[in-house]
Amino acid sequence: MAVDRALVRRRGILIELGATALVVFALTISLVGFHIKDVSGGLSLELRYIDVMSAVIIAIIGRGWLILVRHGHYWWVSVTATLTATILIGSLIFGGAIVQKYLPFKAGLLQWLLAIVSAGFAVGSAIRGVRKRNTTPLTAEGLASFAEDTSFMDWVSAQVQRSSVWIGAIIFLFAAVFPFLPGVNLRYLDIGVLVLTYVMLGWGLNIVVGLAGLLDLGYVAFYAVGAYSFALLASPDSPLLQELGWTQGISFWVCMPFAGLMAALAGVALGFPVLRLRGDYLAIVTLGFGEMIRVTLLNFYSLTKGPDGISKIPPPSLLGYSTEARMDENTLENTTEFHTALDIPFDQSHTTILLYFVILIMALATNFFTVRVRKLPVGRAWEALREDEIACRSLGINPTNTKLTAFGIGAMFGGFAGSFFATRQTFVSPESFTFIESAVILAIVVLGGFGSQIGVVVASFLLIGLPEMFRELQEYRMLFFGGSMVLVMLWRPAGLLAHREPTIRLYDGKCAGKAEAAAR
Amino acid sequence: MTDQVIPYRTDNAPLLTVEHLTMRFGGLVAIDDLSFQASDEEITAIIGPNGAGKTTVFNCLTGFYKPSVGRLTLEREGRPPACLERMEGFRIARDAQVARTFQNIRLFPKMTLLENVVVAQHNKLMKASGYTVRGLFGLGYGKEEKKAVDMACYWLEQINLVDRADDYSDSLPYGDQRRLEIARAMCTEPVLLCLDEPAAGLNPRESSELNDLLTFLKDEHRIGILLIEHDMSVVMKISDHIIVLDYGKKISDGDPDFVRNDPSVIRAYLGEEDRPAVVGDDGGRHD
Repeated sequence: MAVDRALVRRRGILIELGATALVVFALTISLVGFHIKDVSGGLSLELRYIDVMSAVIIAIIGRGWLILVRHGHYWWVSVTATLTATILIGSLIFGGAIVQKYLPFKAGLLQWLLAIVSAGFAVGSAIRGVRKRNTTPLTAEGLASFAEDTSFMDWVSAQVQRSSVWIGAIIFLFAAVFPFLPGVNLRYLDIGVLVLTYVMLGWGLNIVVGLAGLLDLGYVAFYAVGAYSFALLASPDSPLLQELGWTQGISFWVCMPFAGLMAALAGVALGFPVLRLRGDYLAIVTLGFGEMIRVTLLNFYSLTKGPDGISKIPPPSLLGYSTEARMDENTLENTTEFHTALDIPFDQSHTTILLYFVILIMALATNFFTVRVRKLPVGRAWEALREDEIACRSLGINPTNTKLTAFGIGAMFGGFAGSFFATRQTFVSPESFTFIESAVILAIVVLGGFGSQIGVVVASFLLIGLPEMFRELQEYRMLFFGGSMVLVMLWRPAGLLAHREPTIRLYDGKCAGKAEAAAR
Repeated sequence: MTDQVIPYRTDNAPLLTVEHLTMRFGGLVAIDDLSFQASDEEITAIIGPNGAGKTTVFNCLTGFYKPSVGRLTLEREGRPPACLERMEGFRIARDAQVARTFQNIRLFPKMTLLENVVVAQHNKLMKASGYTVRGLFGLGYGKEEKKAVDMACYWLEQINLVDRADDYSDSLPYGDQRRLEIARAMCTEPVLLCLDEPAAGLNPRESSELNDLLTFLKDEHRIGILLIEHDMSVVMKISDHIIVLDYGKKISDGDPDFVRNDPSVIRAYLGEEDRPAVVGDDGGRHD
């Protein structure tokens, strides 16, 4: 029975292309196809069929290129992709009006992205064409090369972890001079502050999830406890201070440690009931705890003012002078106590720069703590607890204390970050502390790689920084967010920079006199 | 089944005294009124067919189960006796200095060999680091850590794995993992070491190495060892004292020669027979 192999193959390709088109159509028709527009007198539904069609066409072209690569037609792909990339980049740079007229997706960034992907295709297939290597993941050879790609990323993460001192120093230097770089305006500075807040939260959660292995889906609860403890003490608007008859809030530098302490207590309070739980059960209880805190804040009106929130939270004072902007009675211009005292002209960006450095120092302190504590017995006990709790008990490690310290310390850093959040926003309300915040912080830790400090920085930049910078992409950025998360989970399920460096090494040229060290 | 149980006699001081230990899981009696003594500087083996309750004895001893009835006393020189049945699992390891290994190996797979054996010295190091507060600023902790590493190195040398100290423990072959678990338990500086089937899955060469290691622990480090083992080549060669369990009851108690020829042991292992058979070196796994 003769089978026409070429026919079968062609049919297979057609089915693949059709399936791709169908999947993309099904996804985009719901996500992109219908757009609710705010028109005068109500809402109207707009059908964006052009966007859907172009997404389908782009997906078919991309899949077609992949199929061609798989069948070894590298040069076809290379040439067509180069052509596409050239046209796109050309039209973007020289403003090719004709090209632009017929292109969907008017957002420039999206076209840049398409151009970059096409260029990637062009370069990649050209390299493979030169090497004449079949790199499809569907053959044994292809699988080997796929594994090679993965091990390459493993190698990268290992190198990053090993040279983390240098990379950390470079990142720190960049972060330290960032506010003074040319071209950095208030908007970028704000994004920087936001990214750093999430870096700090990620580092705090990394202690609980990455080191101690306790999956915490309610981390935002401690963020909220910190923010509210801070707001209740620092804001003249707070019901607590009004009850006491104080008209002045307490200084940031006093309230912040207190807020951290309150959050740590909340962490220990959560820790007790969940001591026996692990994995999914722990995740569910922590999720519930996060919601409990939020609902309590919403309903405990006499203390938290419920949905109205607490406002008028002052920014951190500096050198004992308030940095809160107020109207000067003589000049009728905005100024602060700090500017008046030091006699420097007032600038709106100064407060943001101050906030930037406050969060930078706080985040660095968190990092210093974590890096340091990993090499201490308690850090090793956390990691051992993550690996095997029963073995820990058999070695005389108290699992209760170990878990509670992890919860408490993780929560404390969440509380510090929360107090910063309150002072930055000047206003707290329960709606800032929804589950999605917990999910984003956890996503940062997971994406960066459990336990990886630099991974958290990279992931915060990718998950918080980039979406903020690409605001003009509007709702598409959430699509990219989801898509890139899926890609990362397929490509590096353990996280981008997942690599664990030992906390202690024997062969660094030390461990002298090991033989004579009699144990008993 | 005869109830004539001859107590084992030894010159060494008793280390562990188990009296009337009973463990029930609902209606199932896993251990039924078990009493025995394990002495200092001796290897006491607990043997018996599968399901005889050997691991349950260990779990009661090390605090993973609370015994339904019974008293477990650990006597150490110059210190008040410890009542193990009243202590929490981690306290038994920390305060009563009873260390154990597990039937299915429980190492910390994503930690290096060195980290595995250093973690075992947690309580000592915790104190040295001033419960983290002092250690955070590096005050006086380095010296203690170095001592801990030296001790870790010593034990890694004893199990011939010091060359691989910086490798992750899940990369070790099975036999090495078993020995690493023993080294890790030894790093807690125990007076009594409970080994749950340490020779399971080892080849003949590895189990003879294990024999040497256990004899070394007994002779050089002067600890008591409690051993659950199926491999009779290990049990008969190195044990000073053997306790045989069947269906949670003690059926024999004595030195290897006594147990080897005890008719009730033979009955338990081989079933009722006219001719007297011998539980020999070829192993007793027949059920």
